Amino acid sequence: MERKLLVEDHIRRNKRNTLIICMLMLLLLFAVIFSIGLVLGFPPVFSTAIGLPLSLLYIALTYSFSVQSVLAAAKARPANPNKREEKLLIYKVEEMAIAAGLPMPKVYVQESSDINAFATGKKPEDAVICVTTGALQKLNTEELEGVIAHEMSHIQNRDILLATVTVGVVGAIALISEIVLRSLFWGGGGRERRGNGNVILFIVAIIFIVLAPIFARLTYLAISRRREYLADANGAYLTRNPEGLARALEKIKADIPDDPKGSKMVAPLYIENPFKRSLRDSIWSTHPPIDERIRRLRSM
Amino acid sequence: MLLWILAIIILIILLAIPVYYYNKIIRLENRIENSWAQIDVQLKRRADLIPNLMETVKGYMKHEREVLENVTKARAALLNAKTPHENMEANNMLTGALKTLFAVAENYPNLKANENFLQLQDQLTHTEDKIAYARQHYNDSVLVFNNTIETFPGVFFAKMMGKKEKEMLQIPEEAKEVPKVSF
Repeated sequence: MERKLLVEDHIRRNKRNTLIICMLMLLLLFAVIFSIGLVLGFPPVFSTAIGLPLSLLYIALTYSFSVQSVLAAAKARPANPNKREEKLLIYKVEEMAIAAGLPMPKVYVQESSDINAFATGKKPEDAVICVTTGALQKLNTEELEGVIAHEMSHIQNRDILLATVTVGVVGAIALISEIVLRSLFWGGGGRERRGNGNVILFIVAIIFIVLAPIFARLTYLAISRRREYLADANGAYLTRNPEGLARALEKIKADIPDDPKGSKMVAPLYIENPFKRSLRDSIWSTHPPIDERIRRLRSM
Repeated sequence: MLLWILAIIILIILLAIPVYYYNKIIRLENRIENSWAQIDVQLKRRADLIPNLMETVKGYMKHEREVLENVTKARAALLNAKTPHENMEANNMLTGALKTLFAVAENYPNLKANENFLQLQDQLTHTEDKIAYARQHYNDSVLVFNNTIETFPGVFFAKMMGKKEKEMLQIPEEAKEVPKVSF
């Protein structure tokens, strides 16, 4: 019973945090558009009339396409049931869905020699579980089962809602800011010709430079140590076999990481950070230390 | 005035508690029924796969009559089972018989190379695992239900609704045993 209360509480918190992220982004976007309007000398009423619907539209669009953008950023494709390896993966996902009493999620595969997996979706009914081809090759049935059970727990706890929406809503603007910054950096030649347009670009660039770390920080809000430990524990409860996931994590630890594929924005979704090499010991290392996760699984 | 508001609030709470427990008990009971339906679907699916398997295996395993008969017998028992208990017993029988069959199949390289056989073996293992997990989910649901109707204040409402605690499905001991292979 206590476990159930804990999970219900957790689900409520995830839904609330998702709302907070969306409101924060709405506010942030509106503030940016409003201040650009002020700088350019438009009346505040005009800036509001443009800025509010525009930011709302942005949130609505990125929210509704967040699952697709996550899958696109990870370059994932649907699992192919004609390949035995991927057929067995689909089977395992189905078994874990039954164990959790959840509807069967869609199964995707990402081409990468890394051992990794993530779950995405806004609710259990439209959830997706994606596993790398490296995980399919290097993990045995028991270990793969542990990994899938971990992802299934993320679906059950609605962690996927928070993570997916955050990546979708924040990720799109981060991508835009990256493009703007790069085009400004490379597009120096046009400076003399269009003086006025350049001022706007310059202001936008400064705003984005200031905001970029905030965006990055926001995405990492979507993951927390507590969420990972909870998913590990719930996953072990589903398989009744903590050793499976523990051994999978050991293999991930010992594995030599491949060049990270896909966008950095999707990193918080994975079972283990795919950018572990470049981000080691940095303030962004938000995944709990793998040794501690293994220790906790073994002591269950 | 204040007293009236207080009285109304207390009344609402008093009305809300039985409604909450009534809904909760019904919801948990439905979940158990639903988990059983899930097990039932998988059991049927498993029984449906057996004739195909027999058809594929027949040509190769001519001298393993006993092994094949055991599988057919277990399947018949599964199809005739009425209660959850009978169902589970027949299912365990089938699991044992299939285990023996697959163990014996190791001695037939031609059979093991048969694409159809491999497909069926994968599917049967998959359904067996699904049954095991569905049974686990059933037991989880029963546990939550029993806890709710046995603890206070759920026990009070369960008595009024005439709900009794449900029985869990036993995980078979024999399923863990190594199959005996006789030639």
